[in-house]
Amino acid sequence: MKSLIQATIAILVVSALLFYAADALSAGGGKSGKNTLTIFNWGEYIDPDLLKQFEKETGIHVIYETFDSNEAMMTKIQQGGTAYDIAVPSEYMIEKMKEENLLIPLDKTKIPNLKNIDPYFLDLPFDDDNKYSVPYFWGTVGIVYNPSLVGNLDFSSWEDLWDPSLKRKVFLVDGAREVIGMGLNSLGYSLNSLDNHELREATDKLITLAPNVKAIIGDEITPLMINNEASVALTWSGQAADMMYENEELDFAVPDEGSNLWFDNMVIPKTSKNIDGAHAFINFMLSAESGAQNADYVGYSTPNIAAMDLMDEEVVSDERYYPSEEQRETLEVYKNLGPDYLGKYNELFLEFKMSIR
Amino acid sequence: MNKLSTSAKVYLTIVFIVLYAPIFYLIFYSFNSGGSMNNFESFTLEHYQAVFEDSRLLVILINTVIVALLSALISTIIGTLGAIGIVTVKDSKMRNTLLSLNNVLIVSPDVIIGASFLILFTMVGIKLGFASVLLAHVAFSVPIVVLMVLPKLLEMNKSLIDAALDLGATKKDVMMRVILPYIQPGIFAGFFLALTYSLDDFAVTFFVTGNGFSTLSVEIYSMARAGISLTVNAISGLVFFVTVLIVVGYYFITSRTSKRMEGQR
Repeated sequence: MKSLIQATIAILVVSALLFYAADALSAGGGKSGKNTLTIFNWGEYIDPDLLKQFEKETGIHVIYETFDSNEAMMTKIQQGGTAYDIAVPSEYMIEKMKEENLLIPLDKTKIPNLKNIDPYFLDLPFDDDNKYSVPYFWGTVGIVYNPSLVGNLDFSSWEDLWDPSLKRKVFLVDGAREVIGMGLNSLGYSLNSLDNHELREATDKLITLAPNVKAIIGDEITPLMINNEASVALTWSGQAADMMYENEELDFAVPDEGSNLWFDNMVIPKTSKNIDGAHAFINFMLSAESGAQNADYVGYSTPNIAAMDLMDEEVVSDERYYPSEEQRETLEVYKNLGPDYLGKYNELFLEFKMSIR
Repeated sequence: MNKLSTSAKVYLTIVFIVLYAPIFYLIFYSFNSGGSMNNFESFTLEHYQAVFEDSRLLVILINTVIVALLSALISTIIGTLGAIGIVTVKDSKMRNTLLSLNNVLIVSPDVIIGASFLILFTMVGIKLGFASVLLAHVAFSVPIVVLMVLPKLLEMNKSLIDAALDLGATKKDVMMRVILPYIQPGIFAGFFLALTYSLDDFAVTFFVTGNGFSTLSVEIYSMARAGISLTVNAISGLVFFVTVLIVVGYYFITSRTSKRMEGQR
């Protein structure tokens, strides 16, 4: 009995001490709603120094939370419970959030730094006239490969994935839109296709790729590529950049037939309690200095032209991350297909997955 | 221990190596200056330094430990009382129903528990944050504690209680001096299981964190999207160290009390 009581007291004392420590560490955190800004972003998707700088410049205390998928983020915003002032969803999710009335229109007079953004990345189909969102990072879907392991294939065409020499060597990301989209692109169709014929054809074509497919996985692909244990993978440009940073042998290519262009954009959700602060933060992130510093830290491509002038020449002239305008012509942004066609894509992806082995 | 045959010792050693190798592998690379887990370049403490410099991460680490300790404590109290309650139910049908209800909660998927908590909390108006995470953790830990304490209670000889009552013990005495000391190992086992459940739960916790309050599992999950960095190794090393400390503390408490008991005899 005595030891039970002792243990209880010990736990309470330790907890109290830890509480005190946590409180001391997060000191300076204003508890009032007016002067705090709650940001909901992807993990490891911002330079922490920028948050400190922002706090110093504006006196607004920042609460920073992270999520790992668009869907999870949307659920939490929809349910309320936390007053998120800024979120960073991808383009198709912005379209969905707009439909569900979860976003607050931006007041552009409070975001003068919007002028720093490449007009090419503004006024896109998922958000006309950027009423609700401004670009944060962007990238493409392509093929990362290890030249020493694949012979003389250079993946300038999706067809190269079907090369017989790649038997059981190809890794694919586990995403219906990415993989089915790749099938559609390889046939020269749009990756937003709503044509059942085209979708059928793309799936049949993908099924012929089955002998080459080694696995359909997620982030595990990064260490495999870095350690030269895998030779070819379909993946996002940002993930490829991470791999190439660790293993300089690797290369990345976006095939000529076209591919996906994706965006993560900053938005202000309906839950926001500090709309002025949110605008201030967006404007702060769009400044040339913040944009450059953030892109340096995160490694994804920035849509901020002014920031690109401040960055390493070698990085911004690298067409693997910053494709030429000519190549951009072939790229397409995902459209929201609606629940019916999203289900259809998922079904076809499942059919393809089952054909493997 | 000295009775073990050589083959048994070898077997035991292999089992322990298999269990501990991944953890030590992870911790080993947390001292790598190379920046990745590919090859070990040279010894450095920079990843630990990175953890301690990032006050946000540190607060999350502390929060995780506080939630684990408190939720395990509360659920141990509730679960122990619950187990005693279940045992005292005379009607065996009723008792089985209660037990099954308890077990259903253990096998129900975390995602569903998490989503329902999110809906409940936002409906009732509980602000997401420390309280909601603590409540959710207590809720999913209680059934585990019940399951850990129950066997001890069932194995206890009922005549012990009768004897105590015959000797003039009050109901309170029976509880404090007979039942609780007897089931104490089960209580501690329940506590530690609840502790680990709380430390590594992601699915439930993700739904109920908010307003700046987060735990390590949620944070590491979203960090992993950009590839596991060695900072994660360093945090894992720290958590492992804290866990070892707790276990050592538990060992000292129990060995001291058992020594004192021997002395009394």
